[in-house]
Amino acid sequence: MSHSTNAFDQVVLDVRNLRKQFVLHTIDSRIVEALNGVSLKVSAGEHVALAGTSGAGKSSLLKSIYRTYKPTSGEVFLKLDDDSFVDLISLTDSELATLRGTQIGYVSQFLRAQPRRSTFEIVTKAGIQRGMDSDTAKQAAAYSLQRLNLDEALWDVSASMLSGGEKQRVNLAAGTISPPRLLLLDEPVSALDPVNRESALELIGTLTDQGVAVLAVFHDIDAMERLASRVIVLRNGVVDYEGSPKETLERLEGVAR
Amino acid sequence: MKSFSGGMKQRVQLAKALANRPPIVLLDEPTTGLDASVAAGVLDLIRGLLEEFGLAAVVVSHDFSVIEMLTNRCIVMNHGRVVESALTDQLLEDPHHPYSQKLVSAARA
Repeated sequence: MSHSTNAFDQVVLDVRNLRKQFVLHTIDSRIVEALNGVSLKVSAGEHVALAGTSGAGKSSLLKSIYRTYKPTSGEVFLKLDDDSFVDLISLTDSELATLRGTQIGYVSQFLRAQPRRSTFEIVTKAGIQRGMDSDTAKQAAAYSLQRLNLDEALWDVSASMLSGGEKQRVNLAAGTISPPRLLLLDEPVSALDPVNRESALELIGTLTDQGVAVLAVFHDIDAMERLASRVIVLRNGVVDYEGSPKETLERLEGVAR
Repeated sequence: MKSFSGGMKQRVQLAKALANRPPIVLLDEPTTGLDASVAAGVLDLIRGLLEEFGLAAVVVSHDFSVIEMLTNRCIVMNHGRVVESALTDQLLEDPHHPYSQKLVSAARA
């Protein structure tokens, strides 16, 4: 399904001139530039895909928005429930920790979960953290795990015992339960077989219908083509070009061939 | 209590600390010296208590897995000073101060 860009006027994420450099004190204070001034916007119900070669800054951008990396300069405005904007960069750590639980989701390639906790508990807790009551969260967790075809025999098993693909589905279920206003996805289906990948992509596709603003990194062009309303191509830590999936991906594929 | 094991002593200590329902609990190396399986049990207990009672906690630990499991925020101290404070995931992935960088790279090696 494709949308036209101007259908989205409710900007949820507004990134302005974001820079991130690392100063490596253990290696002669070497400076590594990851982002060199990225600006972009994502609206409610819009799915924006980030493309570009390895090292272009895609993951760094997601991590800098989520503040797993602390940006060097720039602004990251997020729209709140009352339609006001906050700059995530200037919030205190405690304020940001609260917003992360409720308003911003981040699903990476790898499951990061509390040890010795069951699959079902991990997903349920994520729902409770986003404000669901315990019963609703349990129902939503069951629905979402079923939807992602996670065998019910694994629901009460500690997530650390699962396979890579199973972990990834738990991660996605936890990240999309009671979806937040802004969802950042970093290769969320990279370890999935074709059948499970299909269900996962379908689930991700429903998020935009619920008004979630999605900023995503996918390796495969097919996923971007299916899900994205717009593609932004990064190169050397800046936006190289952007446009509809059709025009950008043709250009990308042209380079790849 | 002399005959109690390390894990049992830690549980008694926790019960004592929480008996008058304080709003905050200070945990100084809560699992140091315990064998791994006992430490896991004590950690799970602490995590459950913090969640159940909505307790604030300050944890001192050398063990990054303990820090990751129990905390949202981290403060790094060196020579009696705070050198860096950050969200826990940020400290682990993007430490800024030279001492924090050394600490994290040592723990992650």
